[in-house]
Amino acid sequence: MRLLADSGLWTTGTHTEALPLVAVLEVSGAVLSWIVDERDRDADIAFTDVVRADWLWRVLGADGHAALSDAVAERAPQPSEALELTGIDVAADRLTPLRRLALGHWMRRWWPASRRDGIAVLDAALLDAEIAVLTANAEEFFTDDTFDSEIVGLLRPHGPALSAHAALGDTRVAALVDACADLASDLGVDVGQHSPLAASTRRDDYALAAGAEHNTGRDGVIAAGTSSINWGGVPPGVFDAAEDTVTWSVRADTDIVECHVHAELSGFGSPAGIPAIVRTGSLGGRGELGADGRARLAVVDAHSKPVSVSAAWDGDWRSTVVTIGVDVEESAATRERVRAFARARLTDPGDDAFLAELIAAESDY
Amino acid sequence: MMTTGTDAGTIAGTTRPRRAVIDGAWRAIGPGVEVFSGDDGGPLRRTIKRIIDPLVLRLRSNTHYSAPFVTADVAAAMHTQIVDCGPQLRAAAAWFELLKQQRRRLRITTGNAQELYFPVCFELAVTKGAPAEGDQDAAQAVLRDIHSDRDRTAIEVLNQYIGEPDVVDTLADQLARSWQDIRAGDDATASFFDGLTVALGSAEGHRAQVARQRVWTTLTRDATPYNLGAKARDPSVDLPWSIRGLGLSVAEPQQPPTVVGGADGDRPLDRTVVARVRATLRRALDRDELPDIPLLCAEEVDRSCAPWGLLAEDKQAAMVAGIEVAVDLAPLAPSSTARYPVAERIQARLRKEAYVLHARRYLADNGPLHPRQRQVVDDLAAFARPYLSRLWARLHGRDVWQEPCDDVDDLHSLLEGVARSVSLDHRQRIKAMLELQVAG
Repeated sequence: MRLLADSGLWTTGTHTEALPLVAVLEVSGAVLSWIVDERDRDADIAFTDVVRADWLWRVLGADGHAALSDAVAERAPQPSEALELTGIDVAADRLTPLRRLALGHWMRRWWPASRRDGIAVLDAALLDAEIAVLTANAEEFFTDDTFDSEIVGLLRPHGPALSAHAALGDTRVAALVDACADLASDLGVDVGQHSPLAASTRRDDYALAAGAEHNTGRDGVIAAGTSSINWGGVPPGVFDAAEDTVTWSVRADTDIVECHVHAELSGFGSPAGIPAIVRTGSLGGRGELGADGRARLAVVDAHSKPVSVSAAWDGDWRSTVVTIGVDVEESAATRERVRAFARARLTDPGDDAFLAELIAAESDY
Repeated sequence: MMTTGTDAGTIAGTTRPRRAVIDGAWRAIGPGVEVFSGDDGGPLRRTIKRIIDPLVLRLRSNTHYSAPFVTADVAAAMHTQIVDCGPQLRAAAAWFELLKQQRRRLRITTGNAQELYFPVCFELAVTKGAPAEGDQDAAQAVLRDIHSDRDRTAIEVLNQYIGEPDVVDTLADQLARSWQDIRAGDDATASFFDGLTVALGSAEGHRAQVARQRVWTTLTRDATPYNLGAKARDPSVDLPWSIRGLGLSVAEPQQPPTVVGGADGDRPLDRTVVARVRATLRRALDRDELPDIPLLCAEEVDRSCAPWGLLAEDKQAAMVAGIEVAVDLAPLAPSSTARYPVAERIQARLRKEAYVLHARRYLADNGPLHPRQRQVVDDLAAFARPYLSRLWARLHGRDVWQEPCDDVDDLHSLLEGVARSVSLDHRQRIKAMLELQVAG
């Protein structure tokens, strides 16, 4: 195997994929990453602390572990340095359970649920429950507590939801819920408490209903268009993950020029407080979305002064950029790859499918 | 790109990973210890942490068993030690089954069963052997004892003592005298900081390691940490850093702490004497006996007046080393400005850990993903404060129990471990703020 220097750490590889395609797992002394839709590609193992990575012998063998440790102990990598470790190889199959765990964490954060695209929402309780069980089974990789070693936080919110699931009689679900009940009892987690998820109503419908009142025809519309959300700039579980889900229109219903922005919602998260920014040339506006995914932004000029109706008509709105959330770089092609990956998993579930995926696939289509 | 080669064959057989040694010995014990094992038959991480390390291998006295890699001889000795404990471990496993059964019966749902019961089970196995028919009562008694909140008992004793007439006044008089006794000397500080660049440096090879240790030993006897701590109280002196900026105190210069009440801040050097003793008692859970409370209070008065709130010179030196490292740490900064290799290493890790947040959609381009996270993200940018607060707490604990800080490798582990736990803590807060948003 070969170790490369990357920003002051040793790593077995340095992929350059965009974040929505990367599944990571933080274990004791290392951060592992995989590309979600490249199943045969090896993990990149970036060592944050080789001494703390006391599981390495499991994947490199005892001699390999000792050799790697000897080679890099007390040695900060110099920029673009590489280290060839002859005769040492990663036993990729030992990392398979970790890849699946990383994928579970990835699904919690990047699963592209979309009503518009027909990609079903994954049940959060079932997904978290399965991640909790996988984490417990991989505990030999978590000698140190890491960002991903915690089980309590995965189980605590879902007690009522899991009990409700178990009552439906699916044996796969029942087995998972039993395993979680054992875990919870050993860990001292109280899963009986009120769950915010179970209490949530499907806010999608509410958003739809709220949508109707705003569409008051094209009167006074100066310009209008659609735009897409960069996933990396907004929290998950709030917006529909399709393209072109943001509609905007610049209006002068009175003598005040406003831009109405509406982002389609999906999931249980609230969009309230998420920034919405519209800009074209020297004109623009900024504000926050409300709980219904809408915002009305006062259109101002370069000096932050409200623009007149005639100035708004003179503006070039063809190149309007709408930003929901944080302005981050992200390509539509990346998002399309993620959707294709999700669709493929739902259509043809593999042996690494999560129960939440299986149930989403079975119930939706 | 330069490439260096290492051949696995040259090292093979000389050293073995300690975890692999433990795993092998564990499997040699055979059946009867399943409750202490994972799905693959190896010991659980808590089996190692709570039973094998402290009670079977007894790392406190057998320090050679604690190295991440051990020689063939040590490996053989560890193997024997573990396998020889097979009968006790099997008995302990039976006790654990019984305790879990009784835990359910008593409807105890708090506390991590493995964390709390593992050591007790081994002790029961050593003293009583395997549980016998009718040992349910004994098991219930053990459970009641474990869940009786020993630290609260100790803290009640403290509160009672503080409530006695004149106790606070006497301690306050002692504090006023102690505070006056601390005077800074005029020794030069340059050589201390020169030494730090070695002590906080990398050491490749045995000779470099010996040299680094020698330098640290010298630094732990240097007057500089004491003097700097004493000067933090002097309005006319400029320290290399601001204790206020470091979050060690709200006042600059540092003011004497009070015994109780007053303006009890949460900054380490502002904490009252009673708050410090309370923290000691809370951390003393694993200790066999409760310390003598009046003695602990009197000693804490002197400690709270000592430079950096620490009595021993090696702890004071470690605190100054920690400050020097802390001011260089910035998890969200794109590049490193670290002056010491240790700080550089920690900084590289912190950046990777921030990347995990980023990859998990908890941060956007190293900024908050939701306005609600703004405060915690700003806190992460001011990393030195929580870092030093936690480092101080660890050093305070060592100072109380007179555990040394004179080993330079141990110093490095301490400085790195504090960064690890502060980073984890912080990232969990950032995550919680976002999930709160989603659930709300």
